[in-house]
Amino acid sequence: MIDERLYEEFRYIGRDIFVAGLTSSHGGNMSVRVGDKIIIKRRGAQFGRLKPTDFVITSFQGKDSGIIRASTELIVHRAIYEKTSALAIIHCHPRTAITLSLSRDEIIPVDNEGSYLLHKIPVVSVEMASGSIEMANTVSEALQGYKIIMQRGHGCFAIGQTLEEAYHWVSTLEEVSDIILEHKLLGEPLIEYRKHSEAYKNW
Amino acid sequence: MQGWTGKILDIDLSSGSINTQPLDKEMARLYLGGRGLGGRLLWDLVGPEVDPLAPENVLIFTTGPITATGVQTSNRFNVSTKSPLTGTLLHSNSGGWWGMQFKRTGYDALIVRGKAPEPVMITITPEEVTIEDATHLWGKTVFETTEALGQDRNKRNVLCIGPAGENLVRIAAIMNDRERALARGGPGAVMGSKNLKAIVVEGDAKNQPADKDQFKFMLYETRKLLKASPLTSQAFPEFGTAVVLNAVNEIGALPTRNFQQTQFEHAYEISGESITDKILVTNQACWACPITCTRLTKTSSGQEGEGPEFESTWAFGAQSGIDDLELIAEANYLANDLGLDTISMGNTIGCAMELAEKGFLPADLRFGQAEKLHDLIHDTAYRRGLGDDLAEGSYRLAEKFGAPQLSMSVKKLEMPAYDPRGMQGQGLVYATSNRGACHETGNMLGPEVLALPRLIDRFATQGKAGIVSVHQDSAAVVDSLVYCKFVNLAVAEEFFARTLTAITGIRFTADDLMKVGERVWTLERLYNLREGFTAEDDTLPDRMLNEPVADGPSQGFTANLAPMLEEYYQFRGWDENGVPKPEKLQELGLADLVAVA
Repeated sequence: MIDERLYEEFRYIGRDIFVAGLTSSHGGNMSVRVGDKIIIKRRGAQFGRLKPTDFVITSFQGKDSGIIRASTELIVHRAIYEKTSALAIIHCHPRTAITLSLSRDEIIPVDNEGSYLLHKIPVVSVEMASGSIEMANTVSEALQGYKIIMQRGHGCFAIGQTLEEAYHWVSTLEEVSDIILEHKLLGEPLIEYRKHSEAYKNW
Repeated sequence: MQGWTGKILDIDLSSGSINTQPLDKEMARLYLGGRGLGGRLLWDLVGPEVDPLAPENVLIFTTGPITATGVQTSNRFNVSTKSPLTGTLLHSNSGGWWGMQFKRTGYDALIVRGKAPEPVMITITPEEVTIEDATHLWGKTVFETTEALGQDRNKRNVLCIGPAGENLVRIAAIMNDRERALARGGPGAVMGSKNLKAIVVEGDAKNQPADKDQFKFMLYETRKLLKASPLTSQAFPEFGTAVVLNAVNEIGALPTRNFQQTQFEHAYEISGESITDKILVTNQACWACPITCTRLTKTSSGQEGEGPEFESTWAFGAQSGIDDLELIAEANYLANDLGLDTISMGNTIGCAMELAEKGFLPADLRFGQAEKLHDLIHDTAYRRGLGDDLAEGSYRLAEKFGAPQLSMSVKKLEMPAYDPRGMQGQGLVYATSNRGACHETGNMLGPEVLALPRLIDRFATQGKAGIVSVHQDSAAVVDSLVYCKFVNLAVAEEFFARTLTAITGIRFTADDLMKVGERVWTLERLYNLREGFTAEDDTLPDRMLNEPVADGPSQGFTANLAPMLEEYYQFRGWDENGVPKPEKLQELGLADLVAVA
């Protein structure tokens, strides 16, 4: 059973992600790790209208039937928890970041806040773009060195100690992406103001 | 030298032998240095049959791969031993200059075995290692010894014990650079039991990074984040560590009068703000540290010294019901000079005060008796009168006088300045810490009070075990590299991994480091299990579990430990008895150790 204090965190973060336009009505998923269990949004639940019954508590290693109601991406969440120190995961579909991911192998912030917080967001490509083992492996390995990554044409995966922390990275990624896109549309050359910014490529 | 020197200095004081052994490269990769390396070496060297104060116990001083590189706070070092206070594995680390200077002599670690027949001191330079007579220093205080041996901040650094260590006081610290301390768990008594008064180091070797450009970039990025953090760039430099005292008091988590209350009515008088207003001379820093949290203070009687830190201020203040800041500062100078752990000293005094007030201890002692503070500290270091009982720590004291429940300790180590009833996660940290009640091994002050990295509900329990575990593993990483925990308030493993990669030329990711942290934590757990500790020792004092807070912001709460502990064992991959499961040991590369044991 999900604790009332934890449910409130899911509900508020879910609502904010939807209201901010970071995912469609039913797209994306999020989870937290509790002991040797995962609490994950059920498949098809609306991000902006989560109820206490919209969560599935499933085992860390997949030996239970919780899988039938859990998010399609549960396999990816499990792999991330197995390979990283994440305690919370958010996967959603920020549209400007997805747009940039279509033509880039990495998203490098040009704004100050994004540079401080993220330095670089790698973009990974997988053929089977939803719920596959290949995707689980690729995404979880990429997250061993980064707190948020983009899957090309699909969306982002962010990790943190709490949902709020992961949400911060998602929100920052989309702000970073909006600024890159708008600056590109402006068409003017960047006046570099950050010392050592060339090293961000190697982050 | 790129990260590690590859050499361990091995000295046997019984035979007088001085040897050098190579550092196993794989061990360095798996345990890094500092606390991790010290714990791994201790596993092989000191088994359950060894009494902590016997010659067979060892002192292992370790540096880390970042030590002496010049990266922010790369001055720190660690000591590992078996604790005479708790009987657990003990790790303790300190800042200042000594760690950096020892690394510059060309060694990653120093193992001290045996017992010298007469008091001795060790001097280490790149050219020579000597064991010399120190009879003339025996009996001298820490300040006297440090001065006599020619402490010179950037060139020659002194580590020593004071009278407390010589007298085998179980809460004795090892002091370095005059007023820095390897404090908790009684390492000073182990050094005293070996008749070892001091270790002096003079070095010149440089710890050069493998990738200078990337190292320079990481230095720059870390400095940026340290400046961007209000804690590391403003609060600590201006007010010192006691800046958190008011915040902890406001939420009802400042233990007062031996944890009978959670708010101290005179908190402001002993806060960081008051220290700055009334006794601060200037702020100072350890080697290569931009944070400058150290206080140089002076009281109206003309005494001056470093501190007091938050924990010392609390221990001699709220815990003892004392609000005289100048007496508290002088008590701190005195404890440093005699070589005592201020947390355990103050906590034990508070315990004695409650024992006396409730009729268990036949002594004229009451909370708030500031005039007795200095005598109690002095008597403890020299084991005189009641001081002989205080020297045993709060648990043995309270047990002797028939009220062990009044010892605010876990595994016999005194609890520090956070009441777990107002910070549920901190309670789990204390209960599970491998060296006993300790905040430094996974402090929840960040997430439960300061919103670092995010503010979490301090009264919540579901999901808390994971956060505690990650903080514990992260602290083990910091202690093994060896960074100062305050850097960790601004940057985390992703920075540490990239910096370590630049220094060593070996690629580390953030999660590689977290795996090291988990390995170190689990190894320490295995050590304590081998010593006979069980899940029953993962608990809190009865007062925390069964006496609800009477008033204030934490009113009505007890420490709700049981559900968090169950979740904690599950999260860590341990069974219901708190024993790591075989598959977890396999995953961490520890299965062979247990098979050998």
